[in-house]
Amino acid sequence: MSTSTPTVAAKGAAGRPRTAAPGRRAGRTAARTHKAFSPWLFLAPGLLITLAFNLYPFLATVWKSFTDARTLTTGDFVGFDNFTALVHDDQFWVALRNSALYVALVVPCLVFLPLLLALLVQRHIPGIAFFRSAYYTPVVASVVVVALMWVWMLDDRGFVNGVLRLVGIDPVPFLSNQWLLLLSSMALTVWKGLGYYMIIYLAALANVPKELHEAAEVDGAGPIRRFVSITMPSVRSTMVLVAALSSVSAFKVFTEVFLIAGPTGGPGGDDTTLVMLIQRVGSGLQGRTGYASAMSIVLFLLTLVLMLLVLRADRKDKG
Amino acid sequence: MSIHRSVAIRTAVGLGAALSLTVLSACGGGGSGAGSATDGKIEGEIKFQTWNLRANFKDYFEGVIKDFEKANPGTKVKWVDQPADNYADKLSADASAGTLPDVVNLSPDLAYPLAKAGTLLNLDKDKVAGTFKPEYLDGAWQGFDMPGLDGSYAFPWYLNTGPLFYNKSMFKDAGLDPDKAPKTFDDLFADAAQLAKKGKATLAQPPTVEDFGRYGVDIMSKDGKRFTFNDAKGVGFLTKYQEMFKEGGLHQQALTLTAETAGQKFLQQEFAMNPGSAHDLDTFKKNAPTLYNSLGITDVPTNTGKQNMYLQGLSVNSQSKNAATALAFAHFVTDQKNQEDFGHKVAVFPSTKGSLDKEYWTRADGTEEGKIRVASARMLPTAVNYTPVLFSDEMKTILRNEIAKCLQGKESPKEALDGAAEQMTKLIQQK
Repeated sequence: MSTSTPTVAAKGAAGRPRTAAPGRRAGRTAARTHKAFSPWLFLAPGLLITLAFNLYPFLATVWKSFTDARTLTTGDFVGFDNFTALVHDDQFWVALRNSALYVALVVPCLVFLPLLLALLVQRHIPGIAFFRSAYYTPVVASVVVVALMWVWMLDDRGFVNGVLRLVGIDPVPFLSNQWLLLLSSMALTVWKGLGYYMIIYLAALANVPKELHEAAEVDGAGPIRRFVSITMPSVRSTMVLVAALSSVSAFKVFTEVFLIAGPTGGPGGDDTTLVMLIQRVGSGLQGRTGYASAMSIVLFLLTLVLMLLVLRADRKDKG
Repeated sequence: MSIHRSVAIRTAVGLGAALSLTVLSACGGGGSGAGSATDGKIEGEIKFQTWNLRANFKDYFEGVIKDFEKANPGTKVKWVDQPADNYADKLSADASAGTLPDVVNLSPDLAYPLAKAGTLLNLDKDKVAGTFKPEYLDGAWQGFDMPGLDGSYAFPWYLNTGPLFYNKSMFKDAGLDPDKAPKTFDDLFADAAQLAKKGKATLAQPPTVEDFGRYGVDIMSKDGKRFTFNDAKGVGFLTKYQEMFKEGGLHQQALTLTAETAGQKFLQQEFAMNPGSAHDLDTFKKNAPTLYNSLGITDVPTNTGKQNMYLQGLSVNSQSKNAATALAFAHFVTDQKNQEDFGHKVAVFPSTKGSLDKEYWTRADGTEEGKIRVASARMLPTAVNYTPVLFSDEMKTILRNEIAKCLQGKESPKEALDGAAEQMTKLIQQK
């Protein structure tokens, strides 16, 4: 379906425009209409779904954030009141701190540990498929099951404290201390995410030219030197991708903390994350949906800024 | 820009706008239609929703529905049951979408926001429903009186007070009389101190709003406009709890455990006393026979002499297309015969007048279940629902978190309760 055909056909040998016959003109119009509409028809299903389930809820959330809406009432326009109230809401700052800490501590682990793991399981040695599967198992396991397992392990009378008792160490309050609770949730997130990012790195490592390693080896470079000078630069784009994906996930963390710290968000709500707070404030029959929407917008903006920073850093490196 | 491209863009924009409007109208459609008359003909189909009852009482409800349909030819009751978790979220989704069932099982705190939004029938103001009022216990009917909404919004259904289980072995090991369970909070604090000396925790949950009520603290002002549990009595109560926590009277994880996880730890005999229901006896028998053999059953300590009444009701959707049928069915399920039948199937209590005077609820039959039943029934006529209907889930979390800060020593009891009362009052005033 060439776009130039009718134009060329419509010109004479001397290049003078010729008037097309009425039938031909109609055919041309139909072709143009077809050309204009066909892409939209193909796009329509996806576009409609996006409009209904992404764009509309997003716009509705933006609108709601400027109202005092409740679960069962649409509320009145209150301007920036919700955002002003957020600034003075201690619980919001606690939640923001916890979410930011999550990003700061979890993301580096999820960028580097899976890479090291991928390097280990990349080797073609007998039985390596077992280890690859074993490391990937937590990814396919339900987060609820995984969290319950961790709770059983970290409980006062759980496996970890049992072992500590055996060696004469007092039990560690993993599930009742504010900071240990948060660190336990982070450890769970890292453990569950390792396998997923390991697979991404495995794919990236497969594309690193072997010759480079061989040449470096001949030149006397050790494993650490080869890792720093060859492997890391080769998978840099993948590392940026992992950083971007894991930072968005870390900012939106909910399930792990909810299951480990309990629905109140740890003792006194000290382990509450932003998404937990949004859920708490905005759900239920008396939920403050307007206020929760304002928090959601703040979370969206923070995530967007974080993504842009990561991508900008990547562009700078490439530049 | 060619004409075709602009047509295509306009079409796409139009499609998007149409879709948005469709979604908007679908979401905003709730509650727009007016309900039918309650004194009309009893006929047509209605939807009846219960709260986590199908698993154990399928036969009972199918029987009740069959009886109703037989007694009222031309009616059809479609029964749906929702799981216990996230029931409030399900209700809010239904109410927002205008698909709230015709008859719906609610507790007073869940009924309040729905009644306020105008989705429930005011039984006191309805000429048909109002005639049934004398059939129910006054306290139970008043349990669904909504502050500021001038009326009651559900037929009272089943009631419960709930026993307190305690571990007699742990009492004995701590040098306490295993047959003398604490009756008041002062007894409880004294026993907890004794148990703590032997390294044993007594409870695994911080105090709830009902505990404040049972201690004699006024939870709300009479006009229902502010929370008042931060008075001297409330502060005194929390101070006692703080001391108990410091001494080890509360389980180490008490600040993060839920009722469910605390129940599991009680099974593992990690602490001495836990509130529950007659359902738990089976669990103890099956999963913790050692505990079951040393199980003590008593009333929850109270300084007011009154227990907390947990109340369930059946509300009628004010927008029901068959309101007469819905009303008749809600009354039918909660009438004396059906309530008493239900009370014989499970350890709950009927809210109809005269029912609790019957032998089944006044004379123990020698079983543990019978003992709990008679003891709980005895407390019901004076029991009070200490949880204000305005008490939302968010307020529950606020109170619990402030109490946790106090127990950890980050805030004084006064600061914690002042903080909680202020935040919660603000939430009421925002409405």
